Amino acid sequence: MTTITQSSVTPLPANKVEAVDPVYRQIRDLVYKVSGIYKAEDKLYLLADGCARRMKQLGARSPRDYWDQLTAQPSRDGELRQLLNEITIGETCLFRSQPQLDALRKVILPEIVAEKVKQVTKRLRIWSAGCSTGEESYTLAMNMLEEKERLLQGWTVEIIATDLNDRSVETAKAGIYGDYAVRNTTDYFKRKYFVPIDEKKLQVRPEVKKLITFSRLNLQDDSKMLFMKGMDLIFCCNVLIYFDGVSKSKVINHFFSNLNFGGYFFLGTSESLMKLNEQFHLVHFPGTIAYWKPSLHSGKL
Amino acid sequence: MTASLTADIRERVQQIETMPAIPAVFLPLLKLLSSSGQDATVDEVVRLVSYDNTVAAQCLRVAASPLFGMPQPPKSIKAAVITLGLRRVETILLTCCMGQAFPAAKWVLDPAVFWKHSLGCALVCRKFSEKLAAPDGEKAYMAGLLHDIGFMVNSLVFPQEFTKAMDLACREEIPLGEAEHASMGFTHCETGRALAEKWKLADDVIDVISHHHVVEQSHNAQPLVALVHLSDLLCRMRGLGYGYYERHKVDLVSDPAWAILLQQHRELDGVDLARFTFELDEAVDEIQALVSTVFGSTPARS
Repeated sequence: MTTITQSSVTPLPANKVEAVDPVYRQIRDLVYKVSGIYKAEDKLYLLADGCARRMKQLGARSPRDYWDQLTAQPSRDGELRQLLNEITIGETCLFRSQPQLDALRKVILPEIVAEKVKQVTKRLRIWSAGCSTGEESYTLAMNMLEEKERLLQGWTVEIIATDLNDRSVETAKAGIYGDYAVRNTTDYFKRKYFVPIDEKKLQVRPEVKKLITFSRLNLQDDSKMLFMKGMDLIFCCNVLIYFDGVSKSKVINHFFSNLNFGGYFFLGTSESLMKLNEQFHLVHFPGTIAYWKPSLHSGKL
Repeated sequence: MTASLTADIRERVQQIETMPAIPAVFLPLLKLLSSSGQDATVDEVVRLVSYDNTVAAQCLRVAASPLFGMPQPPKSIKAAVITLGLRRVETILLTCCMGQAFPAAKWVLDPAVFWKHSLGCALVCRKFSEKLAAPDGEKAYMAGLLHDIGFMVNSLVFPQEFTKAMDLACREEIPLGEAEHASMGFTHCETGRALAEKWKLADDVIDVISHHHVVEQSHNAQPLVALVHLSDLLCRMRGLGYGYYERHKVDLVSDPAWAILLQQHRELDGVDLARFTFELDEAVDEIQALVSTVFGSTPARS
């Protein structure tokens, strides 16, 4: 029998995650349980970075020490919120998730257009819930303008963008963005939909703004939520992560009612509803997931 | 598909036998694995592998991947068997053999992309069956690894026809099987079946290869075929597809395969599909590393 010696065997590249303290996997699982955000193994270092910043702030001596602070009352809820802020930082930019946009333009819009073909009024309503400073809303608006030259010719597209924070809404309305916010935006889109206002800043053109209505809205205000009807698409990225289980469930139920049959609900790229709502169908598109309210004649409700 | 076309496929598949690159250990090993599994002895497997130094060395490297569970490369096949168990080492060996089974130069489909999909599907099948507490995760792995062997047959035996199908799939962004059906009149399921029968694989594996796109047609192994079907879909949606954008919405829970699997495994109801998806993403880099270890090339991320 041939014996293979250790020296003749080259190991696979060392797994970079092995260097991460196992406590971070516990923290990852806690973050998922509380918020629905999942930091995959290859992104654990981002979680570790976020924790390191918090540990410095708190003077925690080790990840284990930080875990204790993260799980001990009364500091628990506040600290979890701080950590969520840290790990979602910098996620806001235009064209943040290309797989979501591809799914929207290549699969979902053709499906919705086919569903509505018999309706007299061709109208598409999109809600950016928790729009922050407007990056997502403008990204959607620019993509819809592109589609108005193709699939959505003759359609009316409305984008309703809401946020709890007045200051964010005002910033969003201005539509002025620096280099970092447009780092994923191609030259094509920059030229077509922005005007440079100085060397470092671009402003969204009026025809893009025209598609969007920005306003303040509290997602936990039940009476206001009841009025947000007739949506075809709802985007709510990294907002529900801050809600406790009961409030989250309530908001998700509202979203389900707010959507038309056949409509879609998108969360952030590593965010999920876990099992908080059994009515939505989790559906996959290449590189992204979404939640679908089945159409009436699909027989899948 | 007409009877004459089937005969033609079978006749042309025979050509694969004349290709020199298949390791000698491949078919006996496949036979061992296809049989119910527990009757192979450690010595038998070690003896088989000792004929092929390259396969044995590769096996030891693969065993050390985080996806297979040994922290350090084992010193011998026997040591790997002691730590990982016979069945797992057998599937690792099979993976390594598959890497050498077909000459890469003649492929229509990028072999690295093909292996990334097959290996990804194998690992997802195993992980899925672990979630369901299914009895034989290694069998699921093997079924996932082999489910698309028909694409290899088409690449090698029907290169011109398959090139057209591949072009159509990329252009229209449709599933490759649909493009095969539209442009060739038959698919990798039929050609894969012909090869599997020639290799005398077990009936359940032949069923997986033949029916993984239409699970209801399986007579011998519906739950296994359903498991492979769902894993295949999931892989294609998470960067482990065939290297092009598939314009496709996948609703796994509404898929008939889900109901079939649920009948057998009630645990399926409790699976958090979103988390399962995110966990799959974290294995993608490791799968790429394995593909370059076993198959010698690094695929572009699809």
